[in-house]
Amino acid sequence: MRKLLIFGVGTLALAFGAMAARTAAPPDPPGAGDTVSAWVLAASDTANLKGPRQPIFFRHDIHVGVAKTPCQYCHYSAGESSEPGMPSVQSCMGCHLIIGGTDTTHQVEISKLRDAWNNKQPIEWVRVHTLARHARFPHQRHIKAMGPNACQTCHGDIARMPQVFKVNNVNNMGFCITCHVERQVNRDCTACHY
Amino acid sequence: MADETRPEGMDRRRFLTVLGVSGAGAAAVAGCSTDKVEKLVPYLVQSEDQVPGVATWYASTCTECSAGCGLHVKTREGRAIKLEGNPDHPVNRGKLCAQGQSALQALYNPARLAGPMARQDDGSFTPVTWDEAIATLVQKVQGAAGKVAVISGAGRGSFSDLLAAWTSKQGGTLVRYQPFSPDPLRAANQRIFGTAELPQFDIGRARYILSFGADFLDGWISPVEQQRGFAEAHGSATLTMAKHVNFAQRMSLTGMNADEWHQPRPGSEAVVVLAMAQVLLTERSGNPADANALRGALAAYTPERAQQESGVGAEVIRRIAREFASAEPSLALAGGIPAQHRGAIDLCAAVNLLNYIAGNLGQTVRFGADLDSGDGYGALVSLIERFDRGEVQLALVHEANPAYAVPQTSNFAAAFQKVGFRVSTSMYLDETARLCDLVLPNHHALERWDDARPRRGVTGLMQPVMEPVFGTMPTGDLLLKVSQKAGGALAEFSAPSWEAHLKAQWAKVVAGDEGWRAALQHGGVYGATPVMPVRLASTAGAISAAAPAFDGPEGDDTFFFAPSPSLLGDGRFANRPWLLELSDPVTKITWHSWAELHPETAARFDLREGEIVRLESPHGAFEVPVYVYPGIHPEVIAVPLGHGHTSYGEFAKGRGVNALDLLSAKDGQGFLPYQSTRVRLVKTNRWQAVAKTEGTVRQLGRGIADAMTLDQASRGLSPALAAKEHGHEAHEVNTEREVEAIEGWRASQLEQRKHGAYATEQPMWGMVIDLAKCTGCSACVTACYAENNIPFVGEAEVVRGREMTWLRIERYWEGGENGEPLEARFVPMLCQHCDAAPCEPVCPVYAAYHTPDGLNGQVYNRCVGTRYCANNCPYKVRYFNWFAYNKTAFPEPLNLQLNPDVTVRARGIMEKCTFCIQRIRGAQNTARLEDRAVADGEVTPACAQTCPSEAIVFGDMVDPASRVALAGRNHRGYHIFEDLNVRPAVTYLAKVLHRSEA
Repeated sequence: MRKLLIFGVGTLALAFGAMAARTAAPPDPPGAGDTVSAWVLAASDTANLKGPRQPIFFRHDIHVGVAKTPCQYCHYSAGESSEPGMPSVQSCMGCHLIIGGTDTTHQVEISKLRDAWNNKQPIEWVRVHTLARHARFPHQRHIKAMGPNACQTCHGDIARMPQVFKVNNVNNMGFCITCHVERQVNRDCTACHY
Repeated sequence: MADETRPEGMDRRRFLTVLGVSGAGAAAVAGCSTDKVEKLVPYLVQSEDQVPGVATWYASTCTECSAGCGLHVKTREGRAIKLEGNPDHPVNRGKLCAQGQSALQALYNPARLAGPMARQDDGSFTPVTWDEAIATLVQKVQGAAGKVAVISGAGRGSFSDLLAAWTSKQGGTLVRYQPFSPDPLRAANQRIFGTAELPQFDIGRARYILSFGADFLDGWISPVEQQRGFAEAHGSATLTMAKHVNFAQRMSLTGMNADEWHQPRPGSEAVVVLAMAQVLLTERSGNPADANALRGALAAYTPERAQQESGVGAEVIRRIAREFASAEPSLALAGGIPAQHRGAIDLCAAVNLLNYIAGNLGQTVRFGADLDSGDGYGALVSLIERFDRGEVQLALVHEANPAYAVPQTSNFAAAFQKVGFRVSTSMYLDETARLCDLVLPNHHALERWDDARPRRGVTGLMQPVMEPVFGTMPTGDLLLKVSQKAGGALAEFSAPSWEAHLKAQWAKVVAGDEGWRAALQHGGVYGATPVMPVRLASTAGAISAAAPAFDGPEGDDTFFFAPSPSLLGDGRFANRPWLLELSDPVTKITWHSWAELHPETAARFDLREGEIVRLESPHGAFEVPVYVYPGIHPEVIAVPLGHGHTSYGEFAKGRGVNALDLLSAKDGQGFLPYQSTRVRLVKTNRWQAVAKTEGTVRQLGRGIADAMTLDQASRGLSPALAAKEHGHEAHEVNTEREVEAIEGWRASQLEQRKHGAYATEQPMWGMVIDLAKCTGCSACVTACYAENNIPFVGEAEVVRGREMTWLRIERYWEGGENGEPLEARFVPMLCQHCDAAPCEPVCPVYAAYHTPDGLNGQVYNRCVGTRYCANNCPYKVRYFNWFAYNKTAFPEPLNLQLNPDVTVRARGIMEKCTFCIQRIRGAQNTARLEDRAVADGEVTPACAQTCPSEAIVFGDMVDPASRVALAGRNHRGYHIFEDLNVRPAVTYLAKVLHRSEA
C-alpha cells in the first residue's frame, strides 16, 4: 500500500512538474468545450463563486479538470468504504513539496498548505455535502455499480468547479429514489436507514 | 431531563469530522442541517491501518478479571467501539461475558482522572503535572528503603514481575490480593493434594456436575470458559447430557441452571459431601487404593448424619452419590463465595476427596496449569497490621481498592493513614485513592502495552488500540522513570520505556520480529497446558467437618447473612451504567441493592417487596429494600455484593449498600469468611420502589419458556407433544372462522411477495435460540447495548418500566409449590421479526414495515411516536425513547464509544432490535464488492457473537443448508405465542431437564 502510494505520488509529481513547465508561459487558454473558468482567478472573481469559502482556495478545476487527477487519488477510500476519505496534509505535500505554483495567487494558496504541514496543523475544510445522520450512503457500492468516475452523478461536474458547491441536495430523498427507480435497484427503506 | 442542553452526541458524522491527530483537537459542530457550518478535518498524516468508514481490529487481552480472555477490539476512526472475544484464544474462544463487554465503559468513563492528582490538607485533590508527581514520588522512594509496601491486583504478567522486582529491590513487601480469591480452595488443595495450586476444571467433559456453593456461572474463577464448558456438557440435549446438581442456600444463576437444587443448612455442606464420599467408598469397587484407606476416617459420616445436620434427605444424598459414581467422568465443585464460611476449607477438602475417589483427577480436575498461588487474604491482613504499627513509610496501591473491598472492621482505612506516604495508580478516585497523597492514574488496558498470563502455556498480549483518552501514564513507565531518577538499588531498571521493557521480555519468548508480530496478531502465545499428576497428601486423612462458627446471636429475628456475588463483581464494575442497568439475572433488579427474603420470612414479618428493612450484625448495619425470593433458604437473607460505594464516580457513589459492612474481617484461616455472620432483621415501615424489569413471574400456561425431559428429548418429541404427555392442555385453538381468516391473510401476504422489491430473490433472516444452552447470563444484553448505541435510562425510568433493553432475558418460575421443586426458565426476548407482524399494519406513517429480506424494519426518521406499534406487539419488544437519551445517556467521553454505523436515536421515536441490520448491510456491501453472495455465518449479530454458550444461531432461513435452517428443523423448536399466527423469525428450542418431570 505504502509502496504504491509513494510510486503514485512520484508519478503525479512528475506529471505536475511537466505541466508546470509547460504552463510556465502564459497559461493555456481553456480549450474548446473546456470551460474551466479561468486559469487564474482574481480575488474579485472568487467572490462570486458558489459554495463555501475554504481555508485554502483549493482548485478542483485545476486538479481534476486540468491535471486529470482521478477522484480516488485523493478521496482514497470511496471505492472500499462508505466514507470517501479526505486526503491528509501529507498526501497534499506529496506533490506540493515540489509543485509550488506558477502564479502568485496559486503560490499564496500552496504556501498555506506548506505552513499547515510545517506547523503540524490539520486543515479544517468546510463541509459541502453533509448526509443526514439517519441515513447511510455506502460510497463503495455506488462506485462499484457505476464506475470509478461516477462521482459527478451526485456531486456535479467537479472538474469545472474552481470552488466546490452543492449541485444536488444529497439530503433530498427524492434525489436518491429517482435514480434507484430509474435503475431498478433496491428501494427498501433499511437499505439506507438504520 | 428533557430540558438539558448538552452538546450534540457523537455520531457517525462527527466521528468523521474529528479525524485530526497529534492532539490537534478538532472542534466540530455536528448536525445534519445544511445551515450549520460543519468542518471536515482530515489527518495530518494518514495512519496506514485506518480507512475511514472501515473498522480496524486489534487483538488484545481482557483485564476485567484474572481469567485473561482474549479480545478482538473493533476500532473506528481511532476509537475503540466494540469488544469481541478472540476465537483463537484457548480460554474464551471468541466469547465474552457482560463484564468483559463493558470494559469500554471503563475506558471512556467520565469518572476517569485526567492526570495525576495530589491531595491537599483539606482532603481535596488538585491536578499536578507528571514531572511534579514523579519528582515527589522519587523523593519519597529515596527515603523509604525497607519500608515500602505494594498492594496490587492478582493479574499475572510482565508487569507483576516488574512490580515484584521493583518492590523487592527496595526491601519492600508486595501483596497481590483480589477479593473473591479462592483462598479456601487453595488451602484445601494443600491439605489433600499437597499443592496450593488451583486446578483447571474441565466442565465440558463432565457427565455429572455437583456444585456446593461453587457459583461457576456467577463470575467464579474463569466465567466464560466455565460457561462454555457447562453448555457443552449440559446443553447437548442428547443422552450424553450431564446432570447438574447444586447444593446452596441461595439459588444463584448457577443454581437456576441446575437440574436439582438442594438447600443444606448453612455450614453443613461438608458433611453432605463426606457422606457422599462414604457412600462411594462403601458401595463402589475400583476406588483408588489410598482412598480406600480413608474408609475408617469417613465411617462416621453417614447419609443419616448428614440428613440430621443439613436437612437434606439421606436417600437423596445416597441417590446423588450413586448417580455421581456411575457417570464418568464426573465433577464436584466447591470454593465459591456462597459457601465461604469458616468451614470452607473443610468443604473444599471434602470435595477434593470426592473427586479423587470418583477418579476425576487428571480427567475433569487437572492440576499443573496454575502459575502461582498469589497472596491470600491473610497476607493483606498482616500488611494492615504493619500499617497500623507504623512500619510502612511508602505504600503503593495498584489495581486494588481495599478501602472498599475489605470489611470496615479490618481497620484498613485508619491503618493505611498511618503510612507516611500513600500512592495509588487507580484510574478513578476510588475509596482507596481518596486516602492517598498522590494518585497517578494508569492507562486503561486498551491504551497501553501489557501482557497477561492466566495459566501455564497461555500468554495474552495487549497493545494500545488507540491514543489515550486522558493524560494518564502506564504504571510501567512510571516505575521505570521513578527508578531511573531515584537511582541506587533501583538503577537497574534501566529500560527506556515500559514498552521497551515488555518487548525485551517477549524477545525471550518469541523468535525474532516475525514471532513478535505473529504473537501481536494472534493476541498472544497459546501453547499446551501441562498436567501434573497428584496423589493424596499425608495430611489428607485428617478429615474434619466441624460446624463453622457464626458471629451474632441466634434468635427468632436473626438470619444467616449471605453476601452474594452480583453483576458488579467485587465492586469494580459499579461505575458502569451498562452493568448497573443490566437487570440481575436472578432478581431482575437494576441500579440498587436489595435483600432477598424467603416468602415465609416475608409473611412472618409482614414484609412486602420494596419495604425497607434494617439489617444489623455485630459489625455494622444498613437499610435495604426487600425482594421476596422463593429461591432462598428460609433461615438466610442475601444481599448482593458490589454496591454501596462512597467514591468511584457519579454512577457508583451512594448507590445501594456495601454488604461487606456487616462482616467481620477477622480471618484466622487465611481467607475472608463472607458467610459467617448472623443479622437481625428490623422493620422500618418505610418503602421504596424496586427498579426491576421483572413482569409476571409465572408463565400461566402461555407457553413462553417450554421445556421437556431428557427422555422426551431423546425420543424426538416436539414441545407440544411433550406438554401433552404431562397432561398439560394444548394451547388455545383457533375457531374455524379464525383459521379461515388467518389462511386468507396468509395467502394475501404471499400474493404481496410477488410485487416490487419483494418479488426478487431475497434472503430471509432468522434466528434460533437454544434454551437448553442459554444460562441467562445476560452477556448478550450488554453486547447489544454496546453494538446498538442503546442508552441507559436510569433507576427512576426503570421503575416506570421504560428500560430500553432491545434484548432482555426473561426469567420465569416453575414449581416451588405443593412440594414441586422450584425451577427457573430463561428466555432471551427480542424483536421476533414476525412475518405477519402486528406492529406493521397499525403504524400510520409506515415507519414499521416489512423489508424484502424478512426483517421487521423500523425507520426512525419516519416514526412520529404514536406508540401504536408497541401497544400491538404481543412480545413487548418495542421501546419508546421517552426523553432525549441521546443527550443524557452518553456523557462525555462515553459518547466516543458510540457505533458510527448505528443511528443515535432522539426523543420521541420507537426503537427495537434490528437483528443488527448494520452488520447485515455491511456484509452485503462487502460481498457486493467481491461479486459474491453473503456466505452463511458471515453475519453474526452482537448477541450471538458474544454468547458464551453459543445458544444463538443466526442466518438465512431460505438457504436449506444454512446453520440456522438446520437448527430450526430441530424437533425441540417452537415459536412463542404460535397460536397468534404472527409467524416469528425467531425459533426457540425447548429447554431440556435432566429429570423425569417437566
